Amino acid sequence: MRPVIHIVDDDASFRTAVGRLVEASGFRVALYESGDKILAVLPNFEPGCILLDLQLPGLSGLELQQHLVEKAPLLPIIYLTGQGDIKASVMAMKAGAEDFLEKPVVGKTLLAAIERALCQYEKRHVEQDRIHSLQVRVGSLTPREAQVFDLIVRGKLNKQIAYVLGTSERTVKAHRHCVMEKLGVRSLAEAVLIAEKMGRLDPASNPSPYE
Amino acid sequence: MGMVRNWKVRSSRFAQNPGVLCCVFLVLLMAAPAASMEIVDRAPRVLILYPYDERIAATTEAGEAVRNRLRERTSGKIDIFSEFLDLSRFPEKTHIEKMARFLTGKYADRRPDVVVALGEESASFIVTNRNIIAPGAQILVTGFSKSTAESMRLPSDVVGVFNEYDVTKTLELARSLQPQARHLFIIGGSADFDRAWLATARSDLAGRAKNYETTYLENLTIDEFVDRAAHLPPDSIVLALTIFKDRTGRNFIPREAIKQIAATASAPFYGPYPTYLDYGIVGGNMVTFESLGLAVADLAIDAVAGKPIANVDAPQTYIADARQLKRWGLSESDLPSGTVQWFREKTLWEQHWLAVLATLAVIAAQGVVITGLLIERRRRRAAELESRVRLLELVHLNQSATAGALTASIAHELNQPLGAIRSNAEAAELLLRGVTPDLELIKQILVDIKDDDQRAGDIIARLRGLLKKRSEIDWTEFDLNDVINGAIQILRPEAEQRSIVVSSLGVTEELRVRADKVHIQQVILNLATNAMDAMLDVASTERRLVFQTRLTKESKVELSISDTGRGIPSEKLVGVFDAFYTTKPTGTGLGLPIARMIVETYAGKIWADNSPGGGAVFRFVLPLARNG
Repeated sequence: MRPVIHIVDDDASFRTAVGRLVEASGFRVALYESGDKILAVLPNFEPGCILLDLQLPGLSGLELQQHLVEKAPLLPIIYLTGQGDIKASVMAMKAGAEDFLEKPVVGKTLLAAIERALCQYEKRHVEQDRIHSLQVRVGSLTPREAQVFDLIVRGKLNKQIAYVLGTSERTVKAHRHCVMEKLGVRSLAEAVLIAEKMGRLDPASNPSPYE
Repeated sequence: MGMVRNWKVRSSRFAQNPGVLCCVFLVLLMAAPAASMEIVDRAPRVLILYPYDERIAATTEAGEAVRNRLRERTSGKIDIFSEFLDLSRFPEKTHIEKMARFLTGKYADRRPDVVVALGEESASFIVTNRNIIAPGAQILVTGFSKSTAESMRLPSDVVGVFNEYDVTKTLELARSLQPQARHLFIIGGSADFDRAWLATARSDLAGRAKNYETTYLENLTIDEFVDRAAHLPPDSIVLALTIFKDRTGRNFIPREAIKQIAATASAPFYGPYPTYLDYGIVGGNMVTFESLGLAVADLAIDAVAGKPIANVDAPQTYIADARQLKRWGLSESDLPSGTVQWFREKTLWEQHWLAVLATLAVIAAQGVVITGLLIERRRRRAAELESRVRLLELVHLNQSATAGALTASIAHELNQPLGAIRSNAEAAELLLRGVTPDLELIKQILVDIKDDDQRAGDIIARLRGLLKKRSEIDWTEFDLNDVINGAIQILRPEAEQRSIVVSSLGVTEELRVRADKVHIQQVILNLATNAMDAMLDVASTERRLVFQTRLTKESKVELSISDTGRGIPSEKLVGVFDAFYTTKPTGTGLGLPIARMIVETYAGKIWADNSPGGGAVFRFVLPLARNG
């Protein structure tokens, strides 16, 4: 499936022209004259990226970006701007913009940026898939196993865990084995990585009241 | 005239008195005086003898001249005595002898060194009595002719200033004044003296009047004289001698007779006597009594100084009556050099020199004032021109500043069509590489490229208009709405960037204004950029800039520009147009003053206000241009 390039620019002539160029380069194109218009159609789950005019009437480019990150976190944003506004570009990059191009943009530059953004999309997509499968695996743990998992990745010994959970060291050992099996990891280090990805290592998210 | 006559005609008395004459000779032989005189340790004494009394002007005039010249040349170090012998009223011999004795006694202790005898009578008197009155004194005489002196047989040591009446010289004067004259008339009476004069004139003129047709008018009655004189050819010269008697024996004072004849004459009269002047003659060669006095005084000075002295002829002068010159249309410039003019009317300058000077001074002062005013006017015009040039330069600086402030947004604006053109061109390129290019699309792309190029051109034209420099005001008549729209176009990118909604309301009909378009646009830009700056702190959804036009009751065009900012503190409403008043950290404070200067240049008015709904309103009015 060909990726869709979303182009948001209030200038009809410019929007159309860039759209033609992108389309002629083999992409699908969706044109929007304002931020509201694109927010109305998102999220769609097709691969692609967003070309965004920094100066938009109504919802400005930066304001729109926040909404976009929420609604379509996978779609990288390439900014097109008429003026090299350093402050605006820094803010945009911090907020996760993929690229920042100045108008009038050379076709090659634009297409290269689109290619990079699509790669980024792929990466994000793969990452998202991976996190999704991990979430499924972690979700398959029983509550007791989840408790054991959280304590293992914090480096607790079986004896300590047994004490905390008020059970025998032997039972803990059995749970530990099941956790490693369900998560499909062979070492404690792999388990810690998964816990980290799932955000289970944050002190705030510490589920253990017993420590 | 009577005087001259007296001075001369009485000369016969001595000749009729041989006894006296003998005495004269005796005195002459005995008293052969010293060649020089010695005056030691005192001022020289001069005795002036007047033959008549003090009323007789001729002798008095001569005596005064003597006195003045003596004083003048000796610096007053001289004793001058005067004696009026009164011999015309007391001609008796006894009186003469008493007078001689009286003077002898009077001057016994102050013997005169020089005796000046004026007139024949005085001369005879002193010559007779010199030994008793003024022994050893130098006797000087004047007031009669040399021939008279000869007939008196004056002693050889008596020296005189003698006057000669030379009628040929008078003719010379007439000749210079009337070079074209062909007729010469000589007028003389029937008295002996008159006839003697005529005879003298005949012999004198015999050789000199060849060029003239000469006629002697003699043996005529006074009426005949008058009649003949009235019918003379215009190219005539008339020489008037004396008329003591006419043919009928009627006595005349000559100058009165001459006056009567000359009054109605058809040609100019000339005469040898100064007394004829003012009696109808143009002039003549004359001896004045004053000149006699001066000449005899000079002799006296020389005598006192011990210098040798000798008889002199009285200096003769050409004298002319200016009024007669005018009467006969004779030119002053034809007078012989040295001619004295009598009765010459003073020129305006001579008569009123003070008034003339004052008038000239006033005129000069006025001239200075006028020149000053002209210079001031020129300066003022130059200053006005300079201030106009300054204003234009200021406006241009203001334009540049505005352009600078709007450059970013204008560049952005320009990038839209440029970017579109580029993308369109590249898209077309890619499309053409395909196996079956979509030619319809490519055609559309080309149309769009042309449109975008037009757009870019328009933006650049606006920018150029914004930077247009004026060396002079470019007066044109235009619709204010067009200029407002142009300004909005320039401002729109900036307004969009600042999330300001710009709207334009008002009349749709034409608002004809006569001014420089660029200047009025600048006023609008200044007011609008101010308004936009005033809305920086306002929520982006609340930023509105409204242009509104209307036609006032006074047929003026009004534009108001209102914003939704915080407005102007009421105490600052007037001051906002002052130079350097600014609330913006980057403002120059010159935008509004310049706006006011421009509006006032075009006879308009500008003011600031707050709108009731919040925000400021700036308004200006301009006169509506009348077609035709």
